[in-house]
Amino acid sequence: MARQRSVFYLMTVPALLLFFTFHTIPVIQGIFYSFTNWDGFSPSYDFIGIKNYLSVFQDGDVLNSYLFTFKFAVLTTLLVNALSLLIALGLNAKIKLRQFFRGVYFLPNVLSVLIVGYIFNYLFSNVFPVWGAKTGIEALSGNLLGSMEYAWIGIVIVVVWQSLAFNSILYLAGLQTISEDLYEASSLDGAGRWREFWSITFPLIASFFTINMVLSLRSFLQVFDQIIALTGGGPGRATQSIAHLIYTGGFQGQEFAYQSANSVIYLIVIVGISFVQIAFLQKREMDM
Amino acid sequence: MKALTETQDKQDLHNDIRGTTQMKRTIPTKQLKKKAAVFAAAGLLAAGSILSGCGAGTQAPAASPADKQGAADGGKVKLQFFQNKPEAKVSFDALIRKFNAANPGIEVTQVNVPDAETVLKVNVAKNEVPDIVGMGATDTFASLSKSGTFQDLSGHEGVKTVQPAYIDMVKKTTGTAELYGIPLTSNANGIIYNKALFAELGLTVPKTWDELMAAAEKIKTAGKVPFYHTFKDSWTTMISFNSLASNLQPENFIEDRKAGKGTFAEGYKEIAEKQLKLVELGHKDQNGKGYGDGNTAFAKGAAVMYLQGVWAIPEILKANPAIELGSVPFPASNDPAKNKLVSGVDTLLAVSKTTKHSKEAAAFVSFLLQPDNVKQLITEQKSFSAVQGVAQDDKNVTGLNAAFEDGQLVDFADHAIPGTMKIDTIIQEYYFKKDMAAYLKKLDSEWEKVQSRK
Repeated sequence: MARQRSVFYLMTVPALLLFFTFHTIPVIQGIFYSFTNWDGFSPSYDFIGIKNYLSVFQDGDVLNSYLFTFKFAVLTTLLVNALSLLIALGLNAKIKLRQFFRGVYFLPNVLSVLIVGYIFNYLFSNVFPVWGAKTGIEALSGNLLGSMEYAWIGIVIVVVWQSLAFNSILYLAGLQTISEDLYEASSLDGAGRWREFWSITFPLIASFFTINMVLSLRSFLQVFDQIIALTGGGPGRATQSIAHLIYTGGFQGQEFAYQSANSVIYLIVIVGISFVQIAFLQKREMDM
Repeated sequence: MKALTETQDKQDLHNDIRGTTQMKRTIPTKQLKKKAAVFAAAGLLAAGSILSGCGAGTQAPAASPADKQGAADGGKVKLQFFQNKPEAKVSFDALIRKFNAANPGIEVTQVNVPDAETVLKVNVAKNEVPDIVGMGATDTFASLSKSGTFQDLSGHEGVKTVQPAYIDMVKKTTGTAELYGIPLTSNANGIIYNKALFAELGLTVPKTWDELMAAAEKIKTAGKVPFYHTFKDSWTTMISFNSLASNLQPENFIEDRKAGKGTFAEGYKEIAEKQLKLVELGHKDQNGKGYGDGNTAFAKGAAVMYLQGVWAIPEILKANPAIELGSVPFPASNDPAKNKLVSGVDTLLAVSKTTKHSKEAAAFVSFLLQPDNVKQLITEQKSFSAVQGVAQDDKNVTGLNAAFEDGQLVDFADHAIPGTMKIDTIIQEYYFKKDMAAYLKKLDSEWEKVQSRK
């Protein structure tokens, strides 16, 4: 027993140390700097207490980026989860070429986010407007990303397209855990497809649904790469996400400490949201 | 983005960004127990690292300079030359080979990375300043100078050979009496025009604002596009802004603004009006086109004039080698004597304060400032020399030479504006919404917000 335990320690301690060194310590450093006025490179800095935090709450750009990020993340999470569950159901059915389709649908996950972003950037600029002009719809004949009102929709489209793969795989894994006997029993009882889904499939993959919802919302709240590749936060600041604001302000705008304060607040927000999500969705799992 | 004076392809900015944010996780094939699900989720939460971790890896600067550089081995003094322009890498490599051959006791190596300014700041924070730095006279350069990163080069022999206007620009940028960087090359932005289309429409080169407007109307009447705007890339909106603001803003506007005198709403009214006029002389999809699209479209004759810096010329020629271009200073006002060419320091040379080899570093700076070497550099880079008596012979830009010879130069207006304001996004919004009152108000409120955080 004791020997077994030492094996477990050998497995976990190195990972814990690595995590602590490369993640926890920088986070603590970031929190420390948020109470200073360090610009990121000067040899000296002063402690200024909570002045940075007060400034964050008065900064219109911060509010603007929060509004954009939440609007984007909530919509994208719902779309991704609904669509990827549908795809997973399809890929789990007994169809021809099933393995082939699974490979095809998984492909976007393998591609680099930035490369996909730049390719779509080109499509939005040079291909979609041509199609729009051909169909004669005025609204589609311009570059979607060049519009202050609709650029965010372009980002949603790209992110949904790329994120479907990973979430579909998770749902697929969930679907494969459901025993065939249940479906046989339910079909003997005369349950239709619809009834089958809501009474058997969905309750039994509830824990996967939870994980998917939490993971996707958390990663969409941190959207960054796609923004860089598609709009750079523009036009104006119409599609500036919180992470993008922190990065540009902190590293290019020389306000390292100020944006550290912004990211500390952001950390608290994300952790809070995820806990609420887990609590709520797990209660749902119990009820089922 | 501040890097208007850089000719670099803006995509380079993005190369430093961490890879995909997606986490690849192994897929559980057995049903997870609920407990496990809680743990997994909690673990992932903790792993949900946000940017507070990013970059905080830069250690707080230590008191003593790190002794990592300039270690002489084999009797050779090793020097690091860090410069920010990716497209100038090959040109500098050639010059460095020449220098190393002539100075067997010294070995210079070039460092050129994407998003160079950010990397340089990180190096400074780690106390690993490269011996010699080549960069623009930007906000970053000013901050680094003020925090004591560079040596005062006022006494360097090369200073006397440089156009005084540029020396003043560097001092103005840093706001110090000391000179922390010696200008090597400069750039300019004005109007690039298509000579063939100018001849076809019978146009003459405009010398005043009214002539420019008349020419634009004539182009429109002929059914062509006067200006090819590329507003999707927010930094390109700065070209028209700088052309106008550098020439039209009240004397000492920024200094007064810092002292709390005057406002953008008063001082920038004429600038804002003229900006809007230029926006209205563009093409249908100008909000959806970027810099790369613009270079290609202009090369193919999609518009008669193009508001860009001279750095766009090599790109335009790549898309259409046969095109004949002309360049002319932007006529912001109706008094030709007052219309100065907007020109900034493209590359200046600074020497680290902590270098162990000041003498050798100074020798390398002197070498780069020699007229024949500057000539070689500007011929390859299509930039202009800050050293007096070295002319740019490229026929596409000869229209600007008179301004250089007469010293009719004015620095980019945005060099005096703090980077955090992200003025390019403010201007971009103005060009999209065309709401002048809101634009001027926002310039004032953003300025005050940034000042209050200092």
